[in-house]
Amino acid sequence: MSSERDIDQLLLELDREADDDPGLDAILTAGRRRFDKALARERRPPARVGVIDSPMGRLFIADGPRGILAIHFMDGKGPEPLAMLRGKFDIIEDQAAADRIGEEIRRFVAGDRAALKHQIDLSLVESDFKRRALTRLCKVPIGSVVTYQGLASAIGAPDGQRAIGNAMGSNPVPIYVPCHRVIKSDLSIGNYGGGVERKLKLLRAEGFAVGKDMRVPARAVMGHQRTHIYCRPQCSAAQRADMGRCYIFADSERARGAGLRACKLCHPA
Amino acid sequence: MRRHDREIMRFLMRMTHDREDALDLFQETFLRAYRAYPSLDSEAGLRPWLFKIAANLCRNRARDRTRHSRVIAPAADAEVLDAVSSHHLNHANHCAPDGAMDLRRAIAGLPGKQGQAFVMRKIVGLEYAEIGAALGCSEESARAGVYQALRKLKELR
Repeated sequence: MSSERDIDQLLLELDREADDDPGLDAILTAGRRRFDKALARERRPPARVGVIDSPMGRLFIADGPRGILAIHFMDGKGPEPLAMLRGKFDIIEDQAAADRIGEEIRRFVAGDRAALKHQIDLSLVESDFKRRALTRLCKVPIGSVVTYQGLASAIGAPDGQRAIGNAMGSNPVPIYVPCHRVIKSDLSIGNYGGGVERKLKLLRAEGFAVGKDMRVPARAVMGHQRTHIYCRPQCSAAQRADMGRCYIFADSERARGAGLRACKLCHPA
Repeated sequence: MRRHDREIMRFLMRMTHDREDALDLFQETFLRAYRAYPSLDSEAGLRPWLFKIAANLCRNRARDRTRHSRVIAPAADAEVLDAVSSHHLNHANHCAPDGAMDLRRAIAGLPGKQGQAFVMRKIVGLEYAEIGAALGCSEESARAGVYQALRKLKELR
């Protein structure tokens, strides 16, 4: 070590070191790779959110990359959607995205049955059971309804009508996932997370008019998906049928429209 | 942010003298930067801001390490440093003259803020104003830190 070396010499040495730092490139590559991995874990998909005024009242809407994540009645019950989104998604305000969905809902309520075109994304559903129930529910066609018990049977839990009720109550995407098409087994209309009024409004828009007594119309028929036969609800065949395979149609015409034929025992109108 | 990752890594290598530690702090620095990026006021402040994060992490690590070693082996620090730096610099040793080796060790021995300021200025090449912003002090203070460091290095030689 030479103590006489002056400061310029020292700096020169440092400069040279800065130029060729051995191994820096290798470690930098490793560092970048490690960071990219960590970042992929960190990054969350975007959720575009907005609030719209619709015929169904004020709605909070969240649209994700794979479909609609949440629709929330601002005055209704149900879980707070922002809290559910936080942590899983990057929340971005995007009124235009919400408006596009709002427009579909407006047309749907006005009677355009093909209006709901957006995909849905059930990522916010907490349990597999609920997800199965909601996925199965999506197959119930417009203009018909199922009972809680029927839906429970359909996903292999014949005694699970209460659980189905909970699943419907926590449906993150009402309107698109038609939890308004689920009624009680005594054929009364049952309840709705956004209020019964909204349930009636949606059903009416689908051509399923519910009377003042809050029950399905007298002309309603039960259609069996396997036999493709529809009956009056009082028919002995309907009483024996597996509710998990039955839809309730507003009237015979709709059942025929869905490709079903009339029962020869009860001769529904 | 990617523009500055090379110099951040160079800084961290110099501060930690350990490949794994440098990699850990590198990842942590950029993850924190990524999380906090939306709160950064202007793009111009990016470089010192990144160095601030890196320098804080280095200081945390040094603090945690001191606490740790106080319990286990109070006198082991110098040996560890020797072992670590000779391990890490093995490769360099083959081609660098003795002087460079001593220099590295001397830089490693500089006290916290002086060492950070010195590395930022002389090895990474930051402006004094940037160093001030990164270390949370004035430009003059940063300049003084680098000067003190240089003086110490000179005395050692």
